[in-house]
Amino acid sequence: MTVFFQQIINGLSLGGIYALIALGYTMVYGIIELINFAHGDVYTLGTFFSLAILAGLGVSGEVHGLQLVAVVLVTMLAAMLLCGIVGVLIERLAYRPLRNAPRLAPLITAIGMSFILENVMQLWHGPSPIPFPEVMPNPSFRFAGVDVSAKQMAVIALAVILMLALQTFIYKTKLGKAMRATAQDRDAAQLMGININTTIAVTFLIGSALAGAAGFVSGVYYGTTWFFNGFEAGLKAFTAAVLGGIGNVAGAMLGGFSIGLIEAIATQYIPQGEQWSNVVVFSVLVLVLIFRPSGLLGESLPEKV
Amino acid sequence: MPAFGLLLAATVTGCSSPATTSQSSETAGNVLKIGVDLPLSGADASDGIPARNGVVLAVEEANRHSLPGGFQFAVADLDDAVQGKHDPAQGAQNTKTLVADDAVLAMIGPFNSNVAQAEIPITNDAGLAQISPATTSTTLTKGDAAQRLRTSHPDVKAFFRVCATDDRQGAADAQAARKIGAKRAFVIDDDETYGKGLADVFEQQFVRLGGTVLGHEHLTSGQTDFKALLTKARALSPDVIFFGGTTSTGGGLVRKQMADAGMGAVAFLGGDGISDASFLSTAGRAADGTYFTVAAPQGDKPFIDAYQKRFDTSIGAYSANGYAAALVAIAGIDKAIAADGGKRPSRADVLRYITATKNLKTPVGDVGFDSFGDTTDPILSLFKVSDGKAVFVGLVSAGP
Repeated sequence: MTVFFQQIINGLSLGGIYALIALGYTMVYGIIELINFAHGDVYTLGTFFSLAILAGLGVSGEVHGLQLVAVVLVTMLAAMLLCGIVGVLIERLAYRPLRNAPRLAPLITAIGMSFILENVMQLWHGPSPIPFPEVMPNPSFRFAGVDVSAKQMAVIALAVILMLALQTFIYKTKLGKAMRATAQDRDAAQLMGININTTIAVTFLIGSALAGAAGFVSGVYYGTTWFFNGFEAGLKAFTAAVLGGIGNVAGAMLGGFSIGLIEAIATQYIPQGEQWSNVVVFSVLVLVLIFRPSGLLGESLPEKV
Repeated sequence: MPAFGLLLAATVTGCSSPATTSQSSETAGNVLKIGVDLPLSGADASDGIPARNGVVLAVEEANRHSLPGGFQFAVADLDDAVQGKHDPAQGAQNTKTLVADDAVLAMIGPFNSNVAQAEIPITNDAGLAQISPATTSTTLTKGDAAQRLRTSHPDVKAFFRVCATDDRQGAADAQAARKIGAKRAFVIDDDETYGKGLADVFEQQFVRLGGTVLGHEHLTSGQTDFKALLTKARALSPDVIFFGGTTSTGGGLVRKQMADAGMGAVAFLGGDGISDASFLSTAGRAADGTYFTVAAPQGDKPFIDAYQKRFDTSIGAYSANGYAAALVAIAGIDKAIAADGGKRPSRADVLRYITATKNLKTPVGDVGFDSFGDTTDPILSLFKVSDGKAVFVGLVSAGP
C-alpha cells in the first residue's frame, strides 16, 4: 500500500507540471479557439530563460534559507515575465494578422512558431541536453512509509496555488470578466466596449507566463533541459487540456493531475508498465471523449473545430 | 598534378566542418575518400565527434606516408542526427550520398545500431566496405535478422566492426555486476536495437552466473520522468539497476532520478551507451556509483597523446574505435593499391582485403574479423564514476 501512495505522489508531481502547461493551452483555446502548438516550446523557453537568469545571478549550486527564497522568486517571476512577453509577441506577429482567416491558417503558423522557437533554442544552447544547476537542497520527508521530496511538494503546491490565483483572476477581476466575455462571443464583447486585442494579449501573457513557471519548476525538478523538451510535455499537456475539457481552467488542472496519476499507477501495476503507460493514458482519453465529448469538466458547446 | 592532388587533399582533411562529397571521380583526381557517417550534432554528438576525430587523425597520419600512384586519403563526413537525435532515415540518405561518390572506397559508421539496420542493405548492394566503430547489436551480423539486411547480395558481408558485440558486452556486464557483488538486478532498457539487445543478453548471462533478475522494463522514447518506474523497482530492493540504452535515450536521467527516488546508494550499471560526457553532466552528482563497460580496451598512451596534440582535447570513449576503424579501411585500401600495381583500386578489391584483416595493430588491440565480420578481440574496459569522473577499473573478459 505504501507503494501505491508513493506512486500517487509521483503522479501528482508529474501531473502538476502537465497541469501548469495545460492551463496555457486551455486559456488560448478558450478565447480564440486556437490550438497553440508553440505553447510546449514556450515552456521549454521557460527553462532556458531560468538557466540564463540563474547564470546572471551567479547561482551555480545550492543556496539556502532566505537566499533560496529570493533566488527562486526572482528566477521564476523573471522567467514568467519573459515567457509572457514572448507569448504576447507570438500572438501579435503570428496569430493576430490571421484572426479572421480560415481556422487552418493560424494552426499552421502555430506549428511554424513551434519550429522557429525550437530552432532558436537549438542555436542558443546547442542540441545536447543541458544540466540545470541544483538550486535547492532536496530533503525527503517520510509520511507513513511514503517518501515525499521537498521538490515534489513544491511542484504540487505551486501548481495548485497558481491555478487558484488564475481562477480568482478570471472570476473576480474586470479583466477576467472581459476574457470570459470575449471567449463567449467576441463580436458581442467588442460591441460592449471590451478591447478585444488587449484581452487576447493578456490571455497569451498569462498562459505563457504559466508555461514559464512550469519551465522553471521542471528545470529545478528534473535538473536538465534541452531544446526539444517541450514536444513530449506539450503533447501530454494538450491531452490533459482535452481530457479535462478544453477551454476550462479547472478542467486543465484536473486533466493534468489525472494524466500524471494514470501514468504512475499504470507503470506500477501493469507488467512492463513503463512501456504501456502512454497506451493507458490515451485509452482513457478515448473512453472519456466517447462518453463526454467535451471532456471531464467541459460544457457542451456547439461544435467548434 | 600530384602537387595539386596534395593541395586538394590537404584542404579537405584539414577542414573540421562536414566536407562535401563530390558526385564524380573526375574532379576528385587522385583522392581516395573514406566516408564517415556518425551523429555529429545533438545528444549523441559527444560520442560521434570524438569518433570522427579519430578517423581524421588516422587519415592525416596515413597521408604523411606517400602511397603508390600519388594517392591521398580524404575524409567525407556526414551527420546522421536530425533534430538532435540519431536518425535511421538520415543515415540511409547519407549512405546513398557516399555510395554515389565513386571516390569513396570505404565507409566508417554509423554509431547506432538502428541506423546501421537502415544502412547495411545499401552498402551491401553497392559492395562498399562499411566499418562501424561502435554499433554493438548482435542482430547486425548474426542470425536471420542479419541475413535479411543483406538484401541484394546475401552472400556478401560488407559490414564490419571493431567493437565487441552486445552478446559479448552483455556478458561482460553480467561479469562486472557479479564482480561488484550484485545479486539482485532490476533491468531497464530503451527498447531500441542496441539497448534491448544488451539488456536481454545481460539478463540471460546474469541469471546464468547465479544472479536474480527482479524485473525487466522498457522505456518509451521521449519520456523524461522515471520516478514511477523507479518506485516500482525500489519496492523490489535490487542491489543494481542495469540500464540497456544510451544517455540520449534516458540513461542520465534514470541515474539522476534514482537519487530522488531514494535509490542513490544502489549501483547503476550500463554498457558503452552511457560512457559519454553527456551522461556525467546530465546525472550530475548522482552519477557517482555508476559502472559502465566500453567495448574497447583503453589505455594506449601514444594514441591518447597524439589525439590530445591534434585536437587540443582529451579523447572520447570512441576516439580509439574511430581511429581503429579508419586504420582497417586504410590498410585494406593500401593492400588493394599495392596489388593493383598503383592503380585506383575498386571497391570490390578493398572489400576483399578488409574482409581478410588479421592481427592489425590498433589502440583497441589486435583487430581481425571472424566469419560474421565482428572483431575477434573480446576484451572490454570497466569504468566506475567517482567524484564526477569516469575512472578505469580494469579489463573484463566477455568470454567466448
